[in-house]
Amino acid sequence: PAVLLDSSSSLLFSLLLAQLPVFTSASPVPQRRPTDMDKLSNQTKNLMKLTQELLREHAFDSDVEPHRFRSLPEMSNRSANDFNNLELKPTLSQLHADLKLYEHHFEWLNKVSKKHHHPGVPKLVEMIREMKSLISLLHRQMQRVEAPRVAPATPSLPPHLPYQFDVLQSSHELLQHFKLFCDWAYRAFISLKPKVTAVQ
Amino acid sequence: MLGFLSSPVCLTVIWFLSWSLHHSCAQISTDEVSGVHYGHLGKNVTLACGKSQRIPVVWHLNRSSVLPWHKVASDGALVLLRVDHSAQGIYSCYDNRGLLLHSTKLRMGYPPGLLSISCQVPSHAHVRCSWVESIKTFLPVQYNASLGGIGQDWKPCVVDVSRKHCDVYDPPFWQTIHTLRVTVTNALGSETTDARLKLHELLKPDPPESVLVKEIEGYPRRLMVLWKSPPSWPLHDSFPLLFQIRYRPVGSVYWSEIFSEHSPAVVFDALAGHLHQVQIRAHDEVNTESQWSEWSPMLLIQPWTAVYTTTDPPTEEPFQDYDFPFNEKPETSTEKSHNPALVDVGNLVLVILLVLFSVVILITVPSLIYVLWVRQRRRDHGTKQELTSMVKMKSMPI
Repeated sequence: PAVLLDSSSSLLFSLLLAQLPVFTSASPVPQRRPTDMDKLSNQTKNLMKLTQELLREHAFDSDVEPHRFRSLPEMSNRSANDFNNLELKPTLSQLHADLKLYEHHFEWLNKVSKKHHHPGVPKLVEMIREMKSLISLLHRQMQRVEAPRVAPATPSLPPHLPYQFDVLQSSHELLQHFKLFCDWAYRAFISLKPKVTAVQ
Repeated sequence: MLGFLSSPVCLTVIWFLSWSLHHSCAQISTDEVSGVHYGHLGKNVTLACGKSQRIPVVWHLNRSSVLPWHKVASDGALVLLRVDHSAQGIYSCYDNRGLLLHSTKLRMGYPPGLLSISCQVPSHAHVRCSWVESIKTFLPVQYNASLGGIGQDWKPCVVDVSRKHCDVYDPPFWQTIHTLRVTVTNALGSETTDARLKLHELLKPDPPESVLVKEIEGYPRRLMVLWKSPPSWPLHDSFPLLFQIRYRPVGSVYWSEIFSEHSPAVVFDALAGHLHQVQIRAHDEVNTESQWSEWSPMLLIQPWTAVYTTTDPPTEEPFQDYDFPFNEKPETSTEKSHNPALVDVGNLVLVILLVLFSVVILITVPSLIYVLWVRQRRRDHGTKQELTSMVKMKSMPI
């Protein structure tokens, strides 16, 4: 029996040894630490994902765009060729101001959604939290490259939404605009990344 | 008779007649066809005899007195009733002495109708919209197209009349909804069609180009796929593309797929010794709501096969000593298992090893427990015997 015991334990030991390379290969490889620009682009992508989820789950998709919000950041003058000559500081400042403006709009939407017991409120709250985090990260980056802070435009918000339908429609309009803004902002961050490295 | 024909009077009459006839024909074909009159098919068409007030007049169609269903108005105007295509031609009116008064060309057709518009967005910098007419007008048309959105200026869409499409370059892409407005005009009227577009959803890159699949020497289960981004896609870093590669052994119905952001990518689990079909397509990496491109043309490739010189061919791939030239290892996933006839031998070996390992574990652990239990039992038995003998010894009379 003692021989059996010895052989069994040695077999077990050798099996464990055989597994060792598997465990070691599964351990994470040391990676390059993400820069603030990486974090900015990742958080923007995450916000875009949250926006899409909210649109899919809770917004009211209509072909008629009500155009209720007239103070949203201007996107009609942004085209693909602009990325070829995007300047670091003005773009960061503008993105910060735009995000602040969206933050105002979404806080308003959160308030009216709560009033109408909209089921998308928890995700909306999460989105606003993410947005605030992105704004503060962007502000830190702006300070690092000495980009000036631009005062955001004053938001003009609808005074009163009497029906649930209006809330859904407003939600759809805001989220649609914000999704496209995030798409643009993400591309801007990855485009500006080499420029930040050059400044620092 | 011959004398009469050669008389000066007769020659003058013949000359005059031939001159006037030639002159009147030339007039109809060039100068006197004063313009083109367009008529609506199926409706009545009125052709005025110029500004002439001389009545009665005689109307001819293409120099023939046979006219379609018609009536002549009191002022000499020709009213063609419920006109069809056969009424088209050159209409001429003459006075009662046969003198040409007016000539006009009649073309029949319909006013334009609404257009059926569809748009392709091969990149953020280009929108191409094409259209099909709902009504065949039979008449020459002009198109005027522009792209706009809420609160933005209209950007002209450059029209190719013959191909019935227009192009907008570098549009303000990041708008929720765009409107393409096409106005079609012909001699009978005009019609404007608005098409509402969501460019971010219509975005569909062209398929990748210069796709090449290579075998990798020494690796019978690997394939290297190389490609170039579609030329219509911006080269800038801001527009990353995601590529999907699918491959299968010829004869299999199930595709395996890998994703990669950059060329080249390596397939690690090709079926050794089999011809494979390989295709690749592209997708905007940022905008998940956009569409995948079409697949690139099918390529056929067989992984590297060793040419054996000894009787014992190598069975294992030399993984360890290969200095891999890529900094990324693409994720591999298989949609469904392969056809039973084509089960990957490598996977089978792995499964067998795993099963063997499990069996060994299952045998070893209970055996160990059993051995420990037996030892414990023996120990207990020994103690019991010792105690019994001690009791026996105690009870023995000294």
